[in-house]
Amino acid sequence: MKPFAHTSAGSVEEAVQLLAKYEGKAKLNAGGTDLLGVLKDRVLPDYPEAIINIKTIPGLNTIEECEEGISIGALTTLVDIITSPLIEKYCPLLKEAAVTVAFPQIRNIATIGGNLCQDTRCWYYRYPDKIGGMIDCFRKGGKRCPAVSGENQYHALMGAKQCFAVCPSDTAIALTALGATFTAVGAESIRTLPVNEFYTPLGNVLTPGEMITAIYIPKPSPVAGQKFLKFTLRKPIDFAIVSVASIITLDQGICTGARIVLGAVAHTPVRVLKAEEFLKGKELSEEIVAEAAEFALAKAKPLSKNAYKLEIAKTLVKRAVRGDSS
Amino acid sequence: MKEYRFIGKSTPRKDALDIVTGRTKFINDLTVPNMLYGKVLRSPLPHALIKNIDTGEAMRLPGVKAVLTYKDVPDWMGGLPLHVRILDSKVRYVGDAVALVAAETEDIGEEALRLIKVEYESLPAVYDVEEAIQPGAPQLYEQFPGNVLPQGIPAFGPHSLRELVIGDLEKGREEADFIVEGSYAYENIPNPLPPESPGAIAAWEGTDTLNVWSASQGPHMIKVSLQRRMGSINLHSMGTPVGASYGSKFMSWQYVLPAAALAKATDRPVKFCYGRSEHLAAFTVRLGSRIHGEVGIKKNGEVTFLSGDWLVNTGAFSETSQAMVAVGCGEVQLMLRCPNWSLKPKVVCTNRTASGQIRGFGGQELECALLPLLTMAMEKADIDPVNFFKRNYVKPGDGYYWRDGNWWVCRGIDYTKAMEQGAVRFGWKDKWKGWLKPSSVKGVKRRGIGVGVHGNADVGEDVSEAYVRLDPNGTATIYSGLAEHGTGQRSNICKMVAEILQLPLDRVSVTPNDSRVNPYEMGPVGSRGTYAIGSAVIAAAEDAKRQLFEQIAPKFAVKPEDLETEDGMVYVKGKPGTGIPWIKGMDYDRTVMGRGRFEPDFALPNFMMIFTEVEVDTETGKVELLRVVGATDVGQIIDPPGIVNQLNGCLGSAGIDSALFEETVIDTQLGRIMNPNMIDYKWRTFAELPEMEHVILETPIPSHRFHAIGVGEIATSPGPSAILMAVTNALGVRIHDYPLTPDKVLSALGKINTAKRRVK
Repeated sequence: MKPFAHTSAGSVEEAVQLLAKYEGKAKLNAGGTDLLGVLKDRVLPDYPEAIINIKTIPGLNTIEECEEGISIGALTTLVDIITSPLIEKYCPLLKEAAVTVAFPQIRNIATIGGNLCQDTRCWYYRYPDKIGGMIDCFRKGGKRCPAVSGENQYHALMGAKQCFAVCPSDTAIALTALGATFTAVGAESIRTLPVNEFYTPLGNVLTPGEMITAIYIPKPSPVAGQKFLKFTLRKPIDFAIVSVASIITLDQGICTGARIVLGAVAHTPVRVLKAEEFLKGKELSEEIVAEAAEFALAKAKPLSKNAYKLEIAKTLVKRAVRGDSS
Repeated sequence: MKEYRFIGKSTPRKDALDIVTGRTKFINDLTVPNMLYGKVLRSPLPHALIKNIDTGEAMRLPGVKAVLTYKDVPDWMGGLPLHVRILDSKVRYVGDAVALVAAETEDIGEEALRLIKVEYESLPAVYDVEEAIQPGAPQLYEQFPGNVLPQGIPAFGPHSLRELVIGDLEKGREEADFIVEGSYAYENIPNPLPPESPGAIAAWEGTDTLNVWSASQGPHMIKVSLQRRMGSINLHSMGTPVGASYGSKFMSWQYVLPAAALAKATDRPVKFCYGRSEHLAAFTVRLGSRIHGEVGIKKNGEVTFLSGDWLVNTGAFSETSQAMVAVGCGEVQLMLRCPNWSLKPKVVCTNRTASGQIRGFGGQELECALLPLLTMAMEKADIDPVNFFKRNYVKPGDGYYWRDGNWWVCRGIDYTKAMEQGAVRFGWKDKWKGWLKPSSVKGVKRRGIGVGVHGNADVGEDVSEAYVRLDPNGTATIYSGLAEHGTGQRSNICKMVAEILQLPLDRVSVTPNDSRVNPYEMGPVGSRGTYAIGSAVIAAAEDAKRQLFEQIAPKFAVKPEDLETEDGMVYVKGKPGTGIPWIKGMDYDRTVMGRGRFEPDFALPNFMMIFTEVEVDTETGKVELLRVVGATDVGQIIDPPGIVNQLNGCLGSAGIDSALFEETVIDTQLGRIMNPNMIDYKWRTFAELPEMEHVILETPIPSHRFHAIGVGEIATSPGPSAILMAVTNALGVRIHDYPLTPDKVLSALGKINTAKRRVK
């Protein structure tokens, strides 16, 4: 690894002042499970001058209940989310998503803020510099996406124009289904946005001077059934090939509310409003659920090698809506 | 049967405590005083000429001690026949070595690589084995027109097996009730991926003596094979504990020669260890195997002929592929008794990282490509595959051509009993419903079963030598170049010697792996650890015991053969009261050195059968491995936990999982390997293991002191084709494109349009 300056921040104010000072040439480090890999493999053309350690900021690792919802500090580790009785009580969906991330050692240090901010796993984007040099692409400011005509088996099914990389975060899928928001703080700004507006086609909405400080989840209806399903080749370790988060409310067998979000099919979590609308007021028969799955993937345009993801996504939608365990 | 004190007993592995407590020093833990670090600049292009290379800026970086290009490296060669330079003016795969740097630290070395400026003239590249042999295809080497490498390997003798031509094909055709033909391949080029990546330290003494420390599976062969390629120098090879190898780290010049060149240029020791991404993208993968073949079968399951072209994709160069072809042609005859053969192999170069020596050594690759064809024939004849293998696996008295081109007659075990007992343990009869029939269906989940078989007559390949020294204090030291590559074999030879000398196990040790100390040793390859290496060590121990008795016999006024020894005491047989310690018999100023040598013998095939059960989700295409039962007959178990671990190793290291998800993915537009990391290279973790059990029989082999033959490398080999059979049966449709990832399963089920076949 190339040398860099390393500073520990004692507060959010200090962290964002440091970010401002380095004018975009500093990176925040919480758990480091994603950042260190990016740095070691030199996948990006720019290398940070400084790493700002934010693990030293007190008070950002709590899970608190307020009247309307749950507030989660950005530095809360995934293992703390998995073991939190509050999360278990109000949003088991988030727990189900967090427990599928990587493996225990990673979950012990990786944070929820970092899980949202992690960079895409596109293997062109992540190609290690030392085997013939990094691969240029739209996401790095280049003019092409080599995946479009290449090995695109893990790439986007919908919504892509230039970059076909997918959102790697499992918790973002769950948080989108839960209607969560995040708070981003900069040196002279503070803003709160829905999680499903966090990702942009080539990255995320954070300016180089901003950091996520908290996530807020409005309390879902206590009678709604929550589900997170993730398809991978291997049970542990893997990032999603496709995932689905759903929150279904039934009243005497009739669907009165549905939120369905697809993961790893686009650069962002994809809420499938048409499928949600279609289910409302209906009894969830096999045929209705299957039709909803078709609606959910209606906009999908598979690339040369990822048509199988479409079939898997439909299957996961059906299974999530039915409340199957896998 | 005689009750042994150590053989067949569970004893603590001698190196276990050091390994599990982190005390074992692997190659990357070692430092030599004044040592530099070697780094390699790797090609961005799959095929190109280097037009210009400027190392000035890199040389000026403080801490950089040498930058070498093709213009100034020694002319030491690798490959068979020798055809690969350490650095060349032409690069042949993405990741090929372009320049070498030696620096004071690894970080400085890596920075220096970024300062080297190279201009390339890009050439067209070829990846597919059949495209590579077409007229007009890009040519990798001037001396190999059509990209076809010459067959044969001098180390296997003047008649080394180049093809399999036996009997009369026309007669076989006439006798067949059914003939099937087709083209099948096993070319997902998995990486055996030992946990420890390859590496070496090289240090010169004067100009003609080179010391090499390396994590090689065959450290003595580094001396034997490399010193003559380096201008008749004297090479001292020191083997370190090997963090597994699976064959791959036997191949050594790629890391030893660059380290030696940098050490020569700087006159300082140089360490060169592959990083993980280099290991995955620029070391070695399995060879690609494709067959266009035809098989004839009678209604009773007798195979009447097999003919075919076997296309072997060796990537950018070959170090052992011709040897693997020779052994593969031998092994296929063990799996399949057949009177009429015409199998014509061709070893072809393409623009991807080279194929190397990997467990299964040709046979696994050939049989995995061949099995879809054979199962089609079995289906036509409507014969149960277990019965097919029972009928057709080599039996004592059967003959076969082996790698040396000679006809050998099997005098080994009849493995029918192992097959039958394996089938019973697995519950084959209950689950087998016929070809293309699932064993059970529950909703969208379908289960299927499959079985594979493999054998290897290399348990007696090549020469081993060993010494056993007895010291008067009642200890024995084994002088052997045997590398510890994870199987516990160094511990096991101590058990053998302890058994012969009746010494406590802690009184027997093995010398450090140093070619200055130990005699010739091929290494633990070809499943030869127990039989070949073990026999050399046993012979040395017997020789030492004989000499000990000869020295002591006069003190008792008896004949040497009237003596026996136990726990460092010598007794007259049957007279326990006569015992004296070795030191009294030998005096304190004498040692005894016994010598042993094993001569090659290819008449003893070993055996492995693997039964598998899978469950396929027909909606997602996911294949889950539920259960594995291995069946073998090892003659005599040496170390019970050791053999169970060996058989449990059938999943990874380019074994069973190469039919499920292990594959090296190449983007053929860029020539790059897209998954050179442990997330995208799908490798099973310990958190996801199927049910596993094994049937291990012990039918004594007369020609081994403890009647053992072992099983060795072949634990993986029958697995991939067994998975193919199981999934085919679960789905009820033929599927044969390794690995069986969800896209291929859904495609076979007609749920998605067939993706274009991936060209490697």
